[in-house]
Amino acid sequence: MIDTAQDLKTYKKRIRKALSNEFLRTALDNFAAAYKLSRAKAFEGIDLEALKQDIASGKDNALPFLETLFENFKTNAEKAGVKVHVAKTAKDACEIIGKIGKQSSVKNIIKSKSMTAEEIHLNDHLEKEGFKVTETDLGEWIIQLRHEGPSHMVMPAIHLSRRQVGGLFSDVTGEKLDLEDIGKMVKVARRELRDKFLTADMGITGANFALADSGTIGIITNEGNGRLTTTLPGVHVALVGFDKLVPDLETALRILKALPKNATGQAITSYVTWISGANECAASMSGKKNMHIVFLDNGRLSLARDPVFSEALRCIRCGACSNVCPVYGKVGGHALGHVYIGAIGLILTYFYHGKENSRAIVQNCLNCQACKSVCPVNINLPFLIKKVHHEVMKQDGKKPAKNKILSAVLKNRKLFHSLLKAASLVQKPLVRKNEGVIRHLPFFFGKEQNFRSLPALADKPLRNQWKKLNPKVENPSLRVAFFSGCVVDFVSPEQAEALLKLVDKHRVQIEFPMEQTCCGLPALMMGEEETAREVAVWNIEALEAEKYDYILTLCASCASHIKENYPKILAAEKEVLYKSKILGSKIIDFSSFMTNVLRISHEEFEGRGEKVAYHAPCHLCRGLNVTKEPRDLLKTAGYEYIPCRDEDVCCGFGGSYSLQFPEISSEILNQKLDNVEKTGADILATDCPGCVLQLRGGIHRRGGKIKVMHTAEAAALNKKTV
Amino acid sequence: MKEKAEAVQAFVTSVKTFDDVLSYTVRTTKRQGGKTLAAPCLDPVSKKALIEMCNSEGLILIDPLFGNTYGKIDTALTHADLGVAETGTLIINSRSEDLRRATMLSEIHVAYLDESQIRPDMDSVKAEIDKILKTPPAYLAFITGASRTADIERVLTIGVHGPLELHILIMENLLS
Repeated sequence: MIDTAQDLKTYKKRIRKALSNEFLRTALDNFAAAYKLSRAKAFEGIDLEALKQDIASGKDNALPFLETLFENFKTNAEKAGVKVHVAKTAKDACEIIGKIGKQSSVKNIIKSKSMTAEEIHLNDHLEKEGFKVTETDLGEWIIQLRHEGPSHMVMPAIHLSRRQVGGLFSDVTGEKLDLEDIGKMVKVARRELRDKFLTADMGITGANFALADSGTIGIITNEGNGRLTTTLPGVHVALVGFDKLVPDLETALRILKALPKNATGQAITSYVTWISGANECAASMSGKKNMHIVFLDNGRLSLARDPVFSEALRCIRCGACSNVCPVYGKVGGHALGHVYIGAIGLILTYFYHGKENSRAIVQNCLNCQACKSVCPVNINLPFLIKKVHHEVMKQDGKKPAKNKILSAVLKNRKLFHSLLKAASLVQKPLVRKNEGVIRHLPFFFGKEQNFRSLPALADKPLRNQWKKLNPKVENPSLRVAFFSGCVVDFVSPEQAEALLKLVDKHRVQIEFPMEQTCCGLPALMMGEEETAREVAVWNIEALEAEKYDYILTLCASCASHIKENYPKILAAEKEVLYKSKILGSKIIDFSSFMTNVLRISHEEFEGRGEKVAYHAPCHLCRGLNVTKEPRDLLKTAGYEYIPCRDEDVCCGFGGSYSLQFPEISSEILNQKLDNVEKTGADILATDCPGCVLQLRGGIHRRGGKIKVMHTAEAAALNKKTV
Repeated sequence: MKEKAEAVQAFVTSVKTFDDVLSYTVRTTKRQGGKTLAAPCLDPVSKKALIEMCNSEGLILIDPLFGNTYGKIDTALTHADLGVAETGTLIINSRSEDLRRATMLSEIHVAYLDESQIRPDMDSVKAEIDKILKTPPAYLAFITGASRTADIERVLTIGVHGPLELHILIMENLLS
């Protein structure tokens, strides 16, 4: 059954195996492309941000009162002839349901799809108790026959090809099936399962909603199996997580408005079934359905009280966080989840299935924010994933050496910066002259890092050149502090030089506060919260935001981390939190600064007819919601902008992610570069020095012709000299 | 209503009289090679008319529905209480078990809907639904198009467990 890697070594093996599955990759890739289109179409004309906010706040308002909602639900449902149970643990739930079956002399059970039942491994228990259990959702039936777990929350068998399903059905029915004919396979399932429906004595379902004020459950399906499961047998058991409780129909309908659209791009599913009380039922002795609703706690009630993690209980199980995840797109759900799949799975696994199952998978997050932006209930998934990683390490009580080193170094700015300077000397014999890349990787990088060339450190960091580079401006109209970020400071100072060239004559005084250090995102990425906190405080003091009009950076990741994560990390520290908010309000990315603040004009540039493709950095387009400015800027600077497929999909860098999971990072990068090369552009521009490293290294490694540069460098190239 | 329902593979037709509903149902059953019909919630007069039509066309109206066995139902004819134009959804109060079984087990589901019962969106049916749910026992179905799946290679396939076809007859004038 489900067997999730519990250490990184085993996990890596699984990942390599998943990556070698060509069918899976193609299927998931096609799906990701189709999903984006159908989702956008489904939400046409709807104020999605407002709807998300409504659903999220509705959920948040309910969470502190789950027990009260439950009491109301119970009163209403029991008045209508339903027996309501509470299961504290997964084991309790299994036993309660088994007992109901025994008491009603049940032999055959049919089930409609329920992730909650998957969560508690209900089938295993019921089969051990001697019941014959049949899943009736087509995808669930397929994986049940294969003894697997789901690889997607909405499409559990998405990892299988028609030929695999056809072969499986041929084995099960003893009938030779055309392995290409999906229509016929569905007919076979209809026939085989129809018989199961008609002979079952108990039906088990989940529920998407439990309406407290009427004791109603709501079930969303497409196939119609939920209706048959709740109608034909004499006994109906609904297994419902406490998090599915909502106050009323209005709240449920609001969720319904978003759920199918966000899950599969459907305006609504074929069936939505609402059941209040024990209905008429000929198969039951009493003539009334023998109906039970089992509410599952399994950690939910304490999770609901957690100041940070309670957000995870907003989840309405649409599965969209998998659909848009670049990592999911490469390795699939069996390698990116335990029972629950995708970004929300990386979080819930820890709470519902323990740290052992969470340990390896929780590290497999690029922090690209794609899940967060698609989530219909605004769960800050990447942030919570990093939090879980932190919790797992804390509980394990031992940290990987790389974490210890990173923390020790980052916490001491002088040590960090002198190490980088020393490294720039040490690397000298390894550097390929004129190309700025490392010729031979030092021994501590494995050969799997070879998928992209790594850049050489700059001879002289930006901070040591600053005095010379930046002349004083008389009567400046703006005072700006430059936050360089580590890459610009120590690898690519030329990007800052490009910036200075662009602001020339705009009467902007740019200063470089020398005490600034790494923004701390790499620490957070590795689950090192304490270190992230320390450098955040350090930078807040160093940047003295109150003295400047703007804090400008060329790095979208630094900007979004400072703006969004600093206040989160410092939430409990009033005074410094206040300062972090001032800093957050003044931080601005390069393209927005040029376009919206300096309002640079076409006259300053001369184009040479070069075509430019654009890569939208995750932390710019999703982290800071800046999408228009960089493209406008490139056009203003005289380039012909050529749109590229999946511009806003991550390049696979993710900071330390590309070091931790090079095999996945390289696949994501290669797809990105394939798309870029198809545009026929001369230049690939992007607003993040980290993305530049990854993309430039990838192009260099494949011997590509496209020049990769920061948008600032691209613009500076076309700046008129007079 | 028509456009949205057709977008999810429902067949939508306007009719004028209840006789049109009955003859449409019989015709559709014949055309698909069906033999049996179920019409669980018809009033006695309409039922009599339907039986006569079935007899002359060589079809069988299963009545009572589940006296002894689950016979194969080719076509189920039912009312729909409300329509939601925004999504092409039918709302059917399915408290009657016979009605539920007929709509779930049939190959073709024909539902008639009084045009005056079509509402623009879910918000405008909320109060009516809420009232039904608060008067238990209640079993309320939202039905939008035919039963479907995309579980094998995401290929949309119609008719997994529920009806293979959904026909919506919009009655311009409900004659009692």
